[in-house]
Amino acid sequence: MLLDYDRMGWLRVALLGFTALVAGFLLLPVVFIVLLSFGSSRWLAFPPPGWTLKWYQELFADPAWLNAALTSARIATMTAILAVAIGLLASFALVRGRFAGREILRGLLLTPMVLPVVVFAIAIYAFFLRLGLGGTTIGFVIAHTVLALPFAIIPIATALEGFDKSIEDAAIVCGASPLEARLRITLPSIRIGIFSAAIFSFLASWDEVVVAIFMASPSLQTLPVKIWGSLRSDLSPVIAAASSLLVGLTLALMVMTALLHRKFRT
Amino acid sequence: MTHPFLSIRNLRKAFGAIVAVHDVTLDIPRGEFLTFLGPSGSGKSTTLYAIAGFQDPTSGDVLLEGKSLLAVPSHKRNIGMVFQRYTLFPHLTVAENVAFPLRVRRRPDADVKKKVADMLALVRLESFAGRLPGALSGGQQQRVALARALAYDPPILLMDEPLSALDKKLREEIQGEIRRIHRQTGVTILYVTHDQEEALHLSDRIALFKDGRIEQTGTGEDLYLRPATDFVAGFIGNSNFLAAEHLGTTNGTTTIRMTDGSVISGVRANGTFGKGQKTRLMIRPEAFSMERSPASAELNVEIVDIAFYGERRRIVARIAAGQEVDIRPTSAMQSQDVWPCSRQVFFDPAAAFLFPA
Repeated sequence: MLLDYDRMGWLRVALLGFTALVAGFLLLPVVFIVLLSFGSSRWLAFPPPGWTLKWYQELFADPAWLNAALTSARIATMTAILAVAIGLLASFALVRGRFAGREILRGLLLTPMVLPVVVFAIAIYAFFLRLGLGGTTIGFVIAHTVLALPFAIIPIATALEGFDKSIEDAAIVCGASPLEARLRITLPSIRIGIFSAAIFSFLASWDEVVVAIFMASPSLQTLPVKIWGSLRSDLSPVIAAASSLLVGLTLALMVMTALLHRKFRT
Repeated sequence: MTHPFLSIRNLRKAFGAIVAVHDVTLDIPRGEFLTFLGPSGSGKSTTLYAIAGFQDPTSGDVLLEGKSLLAVPSHKRNIGMVFQRYTLFPHLTVAENVAFPLRVRRRPDADVKKKVADMLALVRLESFAGRLPGALSGGQQQRVALARALAYDPPILLMDEPLSALDKKLREEIQGEIRRIHRQTGVTILYVTHDQEEALHLSDRIALFKDGRIEQTGTGEDLYLRPATDFVAGFIGNSNFLAAEHLGTTNGTTTIRMTDGSVISGVRANGTFGKGQKTRLMIRPEAFSMERSPASAELNVEIVDIAFYGERRRIVARIAAGQEVDIRPTSAMQSQDVWPCSRQVFFDPAAAFLFPA
């Protein structure tokens, strides 16, 4: 290949430098937020005049923040469970099914990934208002599940495509009913896809803000909504602390996924 | 009235306009090792899958001891099966794989343990019990699959080209294992392959498939020495087909004229031929001899090439009409051939078969 990395000579250095620059540009704001959350300046001065944990103390002392975090976790967990359940059934239909309109169904299920979120948010807000689901946990979970479905379907469908159906047939010949074969053989064989789907759909809900702003009510706020709201009323380092926690959990889950993938590969 | 153990009756399977199996009827006695042999697309696998219950036949029936299997779902047929591809459950150890059919049958723990040990001993993989399938070679995986398929003592074992993914040496080794296990367990085996050597080596009987029909059923010797059709003759073993004209058959003795005008008497005729009918004479390469014997017929050829293969020599010769003839006589200890040369080669007419052109 013309652009073979091994044959680039001095260009390699330039490429590495450029890549580092892009990565830095993308990651630096996150690093700043984390640093500021430990800084002692009330006015988010940088570099911080000193280091402190008091913003975290303030964060954990305020029930509103804690509530928001718990709400986020609850909604994200329910979203993950629902998205994986639906994603599993949908993946079987999309991978194994032979029916008219299968490609259309696949397209529809994956649409939320490409549709501008704000359009989806306004539409579902108007719809849920009429159904009385606005500002409810159920409404939140349904809306987030729609958004999370593509992230559940893609890894599960990929795993299922890579799974040889003869193995399931073998289980059936061995005496397992088709349902038993799927539960005891097929699901464990594609578990890496299911784990990935669960983590990705959890994250799709966990850090989602646009739909959440429309769905939230004063008594039901997720962490991103609370951050957004606080940001507009008073700019406090507590927000940086909350954001750092949000980033922290996301990072932890991503690392977990990567480790799982590595473990299953060997 | 006693029923045949396993009976396939007028089985037909169509996929839309494509007919995979036209009309297959076959009785298989208990304990037999029967091979479905044939080129790909000949319907042998489809027939096997109909017995397993993965394909519903368009018409016809499959009977086990007189009772139809068609209404019984796959998982209740109690049939063992080894697949072409590796189908061990990837997340279970070798022992858990073999135990699986017993677990779904809710057998007591102690029974399961004992049976798993017996089965792993049968396929000589006792020391691999705790391994995951990913850590096994292809040959070992297929042996575990065999152990799993036999763990619940099924009356019938189906094998769908189980060795086709393995290399030649391993294939021969596991063929030996399969023969031994068949003798040891007495299970009835239906085996699908496109490899004639494998079929000849393993089977009690062979059903040769062609275009969704069985062309001939018989022992390997039947098919090799008494082929019913030119397709059988061409598929099993090597063969030369030479154009010939049928001169007449009197008192069971058939006389033909070859293209170079020589007349040969006493060849075996498959079917009846008219006087002057164009026919083809099939002669096995190893039926040729370089020395004349009392009963032999002769063929004038030009030797083009001779290669030494150990117990046989392989001679490429050409008849006057230009057609190449494959000749593989037993290597004579002292012979020193020179080529090219023109000479006569000999064959026993009773080992040559006449087929319609």
